[in-house]
Amino acid sequence: MEKYLLDYNWTVMAPELIIAGAAALLSIIDLLMKEKQDKRVLASLGFVAVLGALYFTVSRFGQQPYEILGDTYRIDDFGLVFKTLLLTGTALVLAVSLQEAKRKEITAQGEYYYLLLTALLGGMILTSSADLITLFVGLELLSISSYILAGIRKRRTDSNEAAWKYVVLGGVSSAFILYGMSFVYGLAGTTNLYTAQERMAEAMGNGMESFVYLSLFLMLFGFGFKVASAPFHMWVPDVYQGAPTPVTTFLAVVSKTAAFALMIRVILGGYLFLFNSRTAEGLELLTTALLVLAGLSMVIGNTVALRQFNNKRLMAYSSIAHAGYTLVPLATLGPMLFESTVYYLTAYLLMTLGAFTVIGIVERNAGTGDISAFAGLSRRSPLTAAAMTIFLISLSGIPVTAGFFGKFYILINAVATQHFWIAAIMLATTVVSYFYYFGIVRMMYFRPPVLEGKVKVPPASALVIAVAMIGTVVLGITPQWALEQLGEVNWAAALSPLNGGAPPAQ
Amino acid sequence: MPVSSYLALGAILFCVGLYGVLTKRNAVMVLFSIELMLNAANINLVAFSKYGLYANQTGQVFTLFTITVAAAEAAVGIAILFALYRNRSTAEADRFQSLKG
Amino acid sequence: MLENAWTIPLFPLVAFFLLLFGRKSWGEKAAAWVGSLAAFASLAVSAGVLAERLSGAENSLLSFSWLTLGETVIRFGIEVDPLNALMLLIVSLISFLVHVYSYGYMKGDGRVPVFYAYLSLFTFSMLGLVVSANLLQLYIFWELVGVCSFLLIGFWYFKPEAKQAAKKAFVVTRIGDIGLFLALLLAFWYTGSLELGPIFAAVEAGQVPAEMVTLIAVLIFVGAIGKSGQFPLHTWLPDAMEGPTPVSALIHAATMVAAGVYLVARTFPLFEASPVALDTVAYVGAFTAIFAASIGLVQNDIKRVLAYSTVSQLGYMMLALGSAGYAAGAFHLMTHAFFKALLFLAAGAVIVALHHQQDIRKMGGLWSTHPGIGWLFLIGCLAISGIPPFSGFFSKDEVLASAWMDGRPGVFAVGVVAAFFTAFYMFRLFFLVFTGSFRGEGNRGSVPKSMLWPMGILAVPAVAAGFVEYPTPFFSRWLTEGTGLAAEAGGTVPLWLPVLATLASLAGVALAWAMYVKRVLPADDLTKPIPWGYRLLKNKYFIDEIYAKGVVLPYRWLGAFLRGFDRFVVSGLVRFSAGIFRTVGRIGSAIQNGQAQTYALVSLVGLVLLIIGLTAGRLFG
Repeated sequence: MEKYLLDYNWTVMAPELIIAGAAALLSIIDLLMKEKQDKRVLASLGFVAVLGALYFTVSRFGQQPYEILGDTYRIDDFGLVFKTLLLTGTALVLAVSLQEAKRKEITAQGEYYYLLLTALLGGMILTSSADLITLFVGLELLSISSYILAGIRKRRTDSNEAAWKYVVLGGVSSAFILYGMSFVYGLAGTTNLYTAQERMAEAMGNGMESFVYLSLFLMLFGFGFKVASAPFHMWVPDVYQGAPTPVTTFLAVVSKTAAFALMIRVILGGYLFLFNSRTAEGLELLTTALLVLAGLSMVIGNTVALRQFNNKRLMAYSSIAHAGYTLVPLATLGPMLFESTVYYLTAYLLMTLGAFTVIGIVERNAGTGDISAFAGLSRRSPLTAAAMTIFLISLSGIPVTAGFFGKFYILINAVATQHFWIAAIMLATTVVSYFYYFGIVRMMYFRPPVLEGKVKVPPASALVIAVAMIGTVVLGITPQWALEQLGEVNWAAALSPLNGGAPPAQ
Repeated sequence: MPVSSYLALGAILFCVGLYGVLTKRNAVMVLFSIELMLNAANINLVAFSKYGLYANQTGQVFTLFTITVAAAEAAVGIAILFALYRNRSTAEADRFQSLKG
Repeated sequence: MLENAWTIPLFPLVAFFLLLFGRKSWGEKAAAWVGSLAAFASLAVSAGVLAERLSGAENSLLSFSWLTLGETVIRFGIEVDPLNALMLLIVSLISFLVHVYSYGYMKGDGRVPVFYAYLSLFTFSMLGLVVSANLLQLYIFWELVGVCSFLLIGFWYFKPEAKQAAKKAFVVTRIGDIGLFLALLLAFWYTGSLELGPIFAAVEAGQVPAEMVTLIAVLIFVGAIGKSGQFPLHTWLPDAMEGPTPVSALIHAATMVAAGVYLVARTFPLFEASPVALDTVAYVGAFTAIFAASIGLVQNDIKRVLAYSTVSQLGYMMLALGSAGYAAGAFHLMTHAFFKALLFLAAGAVIVALHHQQDIRKMGGLWSTHPGIGWLFLIGCLAISGIPPFSGFFSKDEVLASAWMDGRPGVFAVGVVAAFFTAFYMFRLFFLVFTGSFRGEGNRGSVPKSMLWPMGILAVPAVAAGFVEYPTPFFSRWLTEGTGLAAEAGGTVPLWLPVLATLASLAGVALAWAMYVKRVLPADDLTKPIPWGYRLLKNKYFIDEIYAKGVVLPYRWLGAFLRGFDRFVVSGLVRFSAGIFRTVGRIGSAIQNGQAQTYALVSLVGLVLLIIGLTAGRLFG
């Protein structure tokens, strides 16, 4: 049955359309505005658009999954959950940016705002794609926008250098993903993930298994790159350090969340048969591969962080370690795969966003990105210091914070599937992480301040910090509430094709 | 099976590109090498669309998309390199190493 | 009262928030009042709860649904059984007294409200830990007390040693916490519950493989090792003495460090089900008891002597628990809390009187100016040394009896020797501080009243707490009622046992007296003789020579060996593991050379190695 464009129920794509429209609108308004004009009105517009998209996303929850555009794009609860995270993260980043932009740090303000929106759009497409082509286009939209964002302070060499490294390594990783995708297409003759899964399962039986694994491992390079897991993590510290702080926040929070959505979708959607294969060989291979990546990330992230003196660089290594933690449920295919991953990503979003916001404020005040910028913060701004302490406590996984329960649920997955060694690595490296997180705490509380006077916290940043802090604590005290919400989500819909497995109409 | 020769061409191109990315000192060459890698994937896609297990047109459509995306990526890469060149007055890839550790 | 038990931890929590928000506007006095009143309210309710428990009420369990994991519901709640009720009283009593005492001790510090806020937070966390009904909740409070301990040790952050000590305490105890957390996860996975009752039931019903029970119990014990400063994770506790003395009394002597012992007691059915775990507890406890006591012999800082003594006494409690002496361990936990808190508070008074001098070599003759403190300190010393009829005598006697009756003569012998050491170093401390002539400089100040009367109150249970078990074993029967655990070891304890223990303690006191008061024996501050048969040789010249060759040298070796062991092997292991992480960090950092092309190469090599590693395993496996 042939379907025409207008036959589809386009309202399901309202969030994407709003963001795309807003991005286009912003770029046009920016053209019409004078060079010297204050462009924060653009930020407000973008903020409203993100909130609007958030509204439409949330209101879609609980409805039947829907596929649109020849089954290339699917709106299911899995995608909606991730989209909610992406939109929330971007909204908070936009709120913080208002202040950052005022500093004249970012000269190309208009570009900054609409590129943030296009990057977000790329992330949203990633979470909802059921087809390799849309996946790739979404991924590249996110990536290319991020490259420019990283280098948006075009007069500063560190920003340029960060963008350069990002574009080179990002390009290589895209090439790997695409090369891997080409083999998927070769084996399956389709770009639809769910059809490809069935045909690849057949190919597995027909002695093509080396090609199946080849495609998977090639793509793993790209996924590892995007989620910042070792050994594909090398770009992370440099880019995080060089990029402007709000962009770093965006990369650490939004881009990583989108990448996890991509990874889960492709591995569970496209390679689910590996988990079901009777020999259990495929399962073991994939699990081991992912667990090795996870363990490596934890070890490298947490140990190299010990040697860092730059705030953003330290957080970059911390983010590598967190990527390792988050990989565990997917790798072990644990009983709480989706819930614990999303719970952890939510906790990670809140605490990382909060921490980066505080870092931005402190850096601006001290004029240095060194950890010493935190010296004596408890006396110069006790509330900010308290908030930062909560974020750090949460990042290091100590109760009563979101980070603790996030780690707890992840560990349940590891223990339930009898992967004790990864649980042991996780706990041991967590102890290592106390050293550098508490280095900052010691700076704030146990060191006399270098500079005089109060630290000014702009209202928008204060709001973001408050939201992140309340979220971190509330999730840490009543994790059940969040988990129940996540439990109601129809995760299984993400795993199965809608059309009953029939090949798509050609 | 003719597909294997196309695959071999793709693989060789991919490796040449990868080698270029890893070794070229000129930053422009590094960007070009990435293009080679992307094109290696394109060769695969087109070959599969003609000789694959389930030959159909989708592979060629995919290729059209990737060519566009690769062009955008190259443009952004060159733009970033321009900005970097203005500040550093060099286009040698191994000189861009102030962020490390 | 039992149904109101949930309010006990809340008072200090409220006080914490009040103090936190009022820290700018309130003076020292107001802060002290708020903190002390909250602690007193907890004490009052705890006393009511204990009274009701004593009259034999049912175990009370109050809970509401908190988390669901799959099919299991984890409930957040409180539980009051005899052990909890006892701990509640101990914690709230000592906390209250320390709150009052701190007013005098911390006077003029400038951050008194913050200090009280931390103290209240600690009291809240500790009380919460004590009443926790499930392991996850317990773990959360377990971590919270660790955080409070970190804050309070580092309270004087301008001292570099305090900063270092706070960090060390935090990280070292965290190593133990990993064990506890793993135990929690394993217990959950094998029994499907985190509540103690169902876990014990599952273990009893044989649902859990025997080796898993052992593993869980040992991992729980690892947590206890970290918190209770047992060998080899004891190193943080002596360093923690850098914190203010009231903190040392409350956290690092009476309550938090006893949490490890409490944990083992609380999960005792698990240990009972596994002989290996019991052996581990007994041997680690015994070794810690003697090891820490022998280090205590040569310390010169008044608080460090007490700290090593704490480690040693905690080892005693573990030794008792490992020898199936559930009641004995809890009994010693209680008496120790009283007399050790008393000793610390008295030491704090000494320190205040001497204007923050802590070196016992620069003290002396305090009895003439501060007889009150002298009496209180003496009571503490007599109690800890186990001289009848002070409380320590009864509890130590029970500990030794349970070791003997459990058929562990080796452990028993170690206990007796440790008792001898304890008596010796405690009275060495006493004599050096209170008798002789003053060896320090400057005048000796006065001690505020608010510091004296909390000590006076503590002295009462330090003297008399032993009589809850004598002449009838009322305490142990009450404690084990309905738990299915044995109140006392089977069979009768031989009569010579308390006599032997008392003699060992008296010998220790006598030796200290001979060396530091009579000075019949040369008392070199660094090396202490083991004076076998010194009465035989009255000739002092002879003694010196023989002593120098035969006793001092070996002893010096032993001392040096033990200290070396502590410094190089134990700390070495810590440093070794830290070194591994640091090396990995250095390598990772070195690879990060700033060149994008190296990064791509590393990623590529990583991918290739991953593929090779996985497929090679398939080819050969």
